[in-house]
Amino acid sequence: MSSLSKLIRNENMKIYRRPRTWIMIAFLLLTVALLSGLMNWESYRNPSTDWEQGLIQVNSSMQQELQNNQELNGDQKKQLTEQIKLNEYYLEQGINPRELSLWDYVNNSSSLIILVTILTVIIAADMIAAEFSWGTIKLLLIGPASRTKIMVSKYIATMGFALLLLLLCFGSAFAAGGILEGFDGLSQPLLSVNADGIVQESSMIVDVLQKYGFAVISLIMYVTMAFMISSAFRSSSMAIAFSLLFMLVGNTVTMLLSSYSWVKYLLFANIDLTRYLEGSSPLRPEMTLSFSILMLAIYYLAFQFIAWLLFTKRDVAG
Amino acid sequence: MTEAVLQLRNVTKKIGGRTIVDNLTFDIPAGEVFGFLGPNGAGKTTTIRMIVGLISMTKGEALIKGVSVRNYFELAMTHVGAIVENPEMYKFLTGYQNLALFARRHNGITKERINEVVTMLGLQNRIHEKVKRYSLGMRQRLGVAQAILHRPSLLILDEPTNGLDPAGIRELRDYLRKLTKEEGISVIVSSHLLSEMELMCDRVAIIQGGKLMDIRSLQETRDAAQTKIIIEVDDIPAAEQLLASVFDTARMNVIGDQLELTADKEAIPHITKLLVNAEIEVLGIHAVQKSLEDQFLEITGGEMIV
Repeated sequence: MSSLSKLIRNENMKIYRRPRTWIMIAFLLLTVALLSGLMNWESYRNPSTDWEQGLIQVNSSMQQELQNNQELNGDQKKQLTEQIKLNEYYLEQGINPRELSLWDYVNNSSSLIILVTILTVIIAADMIAAEFSWGTIKLLLIGPASRTKIMVSKYIATMGFALLLLLLCFGSAFAAGGILEGFDGLSQPLLSVNADGIVQESSMIVDVLQKYGFAVISLIMYVTMAFMISSAFRSSSMAIAFSLLFMLVGNTVTMLLSSYSWVKYLLFANIDLTRYLEGSSPLRPEMTLSFSILMLAIYYLAFQFIAWLLFTKRDVAG
Repeated sequence: MTEAVLQLRNVTKKIGGRTIVDNLTFDIPAGEVFGFLGPNGAGKTTTIRMIVGLISMTKGEALIKGVSVRNYFELAMTHVGAIVENPEMYKFLTGYQNLALFARRHNGITKERINEVVTMLGLQNRIHEKVKRYSLGMRQRLGVAQAILHRPSLLILDEPTNGLDPAGIRELRDYLRKLTKEEGISVIVSSHLLSEMELMCDRVAIIQGGKLMDIRSLQETRDAAQTKIIIEVDDIPAAEQLLASVFDTARMNVIGDQLELTADKEAIPHITKLLVNAEIEVLGIHAVQKSLEDQFLEITGGEMIV
């Protein structure tokens, strides 16, 4: 009888022995390099030698805005006062906020998780469907491993690939930031204004990991969906097409339909948990963080159950 | 009889009210090559796929070395090696990587065992090449290698000769013979090539409409089969008249310009003498054994198999 770890090794072999996988990885690394290069070039083009003067100017204009503009609402006022406080702190401590540090690169790389998601969706879409198109499914299933075990091994291998891409994305952005701006920015804290109106320092890495974390939630959902479609239709092109379609239009469609209350039960209305962070609002007023987490959990379990049912219970003929 | 390697008990498959396979029950003892014969759509492939769990059974049970496929699938499959149609391998891997992949699913397959099988099938020179560069014959050999790595007790071949050239078919047949002799493996084959089945199998099950029509031992059939003697002469009526004095007329038959006679081979010299003495010009006399195909067509009522 096959052990799960050996089956996962087999699935990994099928992923990483294909040249295509390495092209994807190279593509991701290239994108990170390109993004970092652009950031560096941009800051090089606009050198901020007289940044202190600039900050003083910005602050005074914001002060004026606060005093003179009657149309500002509470949130906007709060934002402006906080920004002024931060700027004053920068001037006191002699920190140039526009000077890039290593963490800016890593922070920006979190926007590339959408690319990581797309690449992992392509792999996930192929996991089950490709065995059918290669004709290897029969030999795979006629073996001392239950279908459930085979499916679990495939899912774990897919998630392993996602994890690898995430680490590469983070690592390469970190390396690029370090090379371009020096690794001394590592200890730089994240400055923010807390509820009492006092500027406080917090850990950069926690902030970056939080950004990654929110993006990973949608990654997991879309990849699991692609995996399910792959299992249901046994066709990788269908799985890729549907998953990407949902990724691209899901948000827009839910926005358009947001006046209907049933929209809150859609996956796309719940997938972006950053809506519950300070400064943004959920799609519908009655939605809460725990509601969204519950909905995501239900969707996740449903995807897994359908994928499992369709993979283990159907006959393999022809 | 030794213990049965495979036992089928009332195996039935129904799809949408139609019965594809109907109450199949039979045993296959160790070391036997067992063939499935039947017209298209008779349920051969469905039966084979139910044995290996690719298709679920509606009713009944398949036991491999006494282990139920339905209840203890993983354990039952440790005894099975399979080649299903053209063995499709992972083309982006080398032959060796493919074998390593399949070996990893079983416990205790050593590198030595892999190398032993590779050498046995004569693949050692090209085993580290990507499978996409293999010819069909080599893929077939790799398929056999994959199937026997874990020393199974039962080898299942579903249409193994599809797409193989005659040399490839012969090669496969030789391996199967060798395997059953040397490793005592039982083999189940389904093929549409009757002449191949005749050469490969010890016994065949004839299936039609999902029902088991007959199981026959080919050795017995070969022994029992009476020979047909075909006589070509210039004057058929004269020859018929002459031979009627010696043989039963019910066993004679005129087909075109040939006279067919069912008799032992030993009768041929006698017939020749008779004809020559009667001054009938003999163009040819030869004996034909009733082939499996003839018998098969008799049983299935002349339906063609493909």
